[in-house]
Amino acid sequence: MSRVRTGRKNGRQAVAYHERLTKSDLQKIYRNLWFARVFDEALYDAKKKGRLRRGNVYGSRGQEAIIVGTTYPLEDGDFVSPIHRDMPVFILRGMTTEEVMCQVWGKAEAPTRGKDSWSHMGDISKGIVHSTSMLGSTIAVACGVLWSLRLDGKRDRVLVAYTGEGATATGPFHEGLNFAAVHKLPLIVVVENNQYAYSTPVELEVPTKTVAERAKGYGIPGYSIDGNDFIEVYNTMCAALEHARAGKGPVLIECVTYRLQGHADHDETRARQYRPVEEIEMWEKRDPLPRFRQYLLSTGQFTESELPEPPPDVVEEIQRAIEYAISRPDPEPHTALEDIYDESAGVSK
Amino acid sequence: MREVTFLEAIRLAMWEEMERDPNVFMIGEDIGRMGGAFGVTAGFMEHFGADRVIDAPISETAIIAVCVGAAATGKRGIAEMQFIDFISYGFDQVVNVAGTFLYRSGGKTPIPIVVRGPSGGYVGGSLYHSQQFEAWFFHTPGVKVVQPAFPDDAYGLMKASIRDNNPVVFYEHKYLYRRVKGAIPDPSEDYIVKLGEARVRRYGDDITVVTYGAMVHFALEAAQRLEKEGVSLEVIDLRTVKPLDMETILKSLEKTSKLLIVYEAPKTGGVGAEIAARIAEHSFELLDAPIKRVAAKDAFVPFAEPLEKFVLPSVDDIVFAARELAAY
Repeated sequence: MSRVRTGRKNGRQAVAYHERLTKSDLQKIYRNLWFARVFDEALYDAKKKGRLRRGNVYGSRGQEAIIVGTTYPLEDGDFVSPIHRDMPVFILRGMTTEEVMCQVWGKAEAPTRGKDSWSHMGDISKGIVHSTSMLGSTIAVACGVLWSLRLDGKRDRVLVAYTGEGATATGPFHEGLNFAAVHKLPLIVVVENNQYAYSTPVELEVPTKTVAERAKGYGIPGYSIDGNDFIEVYNTMCAALEHARAGKGPVLIECVTYRLQGHADHDETRARQYRPVEEIEMWEKRDPLPRFRQYLLSTGQFTESELPEPPPDVVEEIQRAIEYAISRPDPEPHTALEDIYDESAGVSK
Repeated sequence: MREVTFLEAIRLAMWEEMERDPNVFMIGEDIGRMGGAFGVTAGFMEHFGADRVIDAPISETAIIAVCVGAAATGKRGIAEMQFIDFISYGFDQVVNVAGTFLYRSGGKTPIPIVVRGPSGGYVGGSLYHSQQFEAWFFHTPGVKVVQPAFPDDAYGLMKASIRDNNPVVFYEHKYLYRRVKGAIPDPSEDYIVKLGEARVRRYGDDITVVTYGAMVHFALEAAQRLEKEGVSLEVIDLRTVKPLDMETILKSLEKTSKLLIVYEAPKTGGVGAEIAARIAEHSFELLDAPIKRVAAKDAFVPFAEPLEKFVLPSVDDIVFAARELAAY
């Protein structure tokens, strides 16, 4: 297993891509991290207060560095395939906050027109590929998107497919990664190893010490990194992008992190029973947001007052989008029978 | 017109569609260098190149998923299942990924893919090389199901399936591959058989036989035998199992008032069960006799010849059932 030595403890970074980030970049990243945090908090709050009455809220609290660190270095024409703990990825890759909130509330103008819930949406025109509840299948579908790009001669465009450590136990994960490796497709698989697949701990999902070791079986680089450290995620992602864009094939990045909440909002009580409370408290101390803030202050480029917690415009943007979604019309019942078949090709009776 | 086998008709349809549309590609096990287990894709890789004719690992999920992902971004993939039985491995891709994609993309992202492969029994293929589980996909919203019986239909339906904007599962009965020959139109005619249209393959007055796939040939043979006894069968070849052409069935029933449904799959919960239910529910008044079904027994397709013969429907079974209906 290869590793990128990016940890600050190791002294000089192997490749310190983050040093290229300007103050303006760092400001955006700070805002994006908080955007992810506030998005999560606002929806938990809406659910608790009964303003969101349907569907589950799958939190990403604690996983923000992964969301921002893997998306920030992407370029136009790159693809992503986010899963249920990556809701801010949809927005960071070009969908509007209003669109995403309409999706959460199941509104008529949502990307799925109220047909499907939460993260099962996408927008191919923005390079966002729809996932399903069968999380491993995203990896296999990604191969098709990348094959399409190959046929179009766009071999340097990548697809970042997100998945969980639990989904690495599925067949489609293996078939997809195997296919991608055989054909050297520019697929970057980001495994959010948040230690639990619903209630099942990682050691009952993965037999190796790290998830990254699975990469050995495909002859591809596998990185096991601190998923709560933005700098480490960002640097690893940049290295992976160089590898993939150069036609060297897929990369597996295991971002070690922790699901600070339950599987979804309905699971908060049980999630403090099937997991040791000390463990949760230990990971609370590794919160990626204060860590990144500390880093910014240490660079000497920022003052405390430049780094509000949270930035007020983030709160305002999210609240405005929530109010917008709530105010929008529900889908008409009869539309449930629309979009099952597409007959526009005219080769059907 | 060209005189070709059933297999050659499918081959030519795919070849001509790949010539016509650079977005069409194919993927499957042994389809490139070897030209496919049955030779349906012989010569494709040499002509179209390895990027459009992909020799895949043994990964039915990935094979179908590659078509799905490519379809979401404007391509038209043809996935070969070396035997259609193996589609069980890729079931989730067909049902939960391809089938639902248009719906969950708010109508924006159609998934034009064809999952095709040899199906059916009567060749000693045993449990995993003989099945006819079209009912799985008949039951699945968002997916179309095609099963031709003659070269001209196979040719026109394959072209329509490739051009269709929805996932199509295309059953090619291996018993017909080289046994059945017929004329197909020249490429210049751009011949298409629209999905969802049944075809009356033999006109008759006494009994409507609704069937598809290899059973069409069995039904036609039964009709010939019964003609000598003065029983006249009208044989309807569904060609497309879904969408189901009820119109053609009803039109025939108005004339005959007797319905015999023949299918090769296990009887329970099969396509024939749905046809029978629809007629009983909506068109009961048309019937002068109970609906009859001839289908496989509710078992697997076994290997040994006496066992296989016992399980699968035969021409005799159709003749006996039709005689009973005629006498009713």
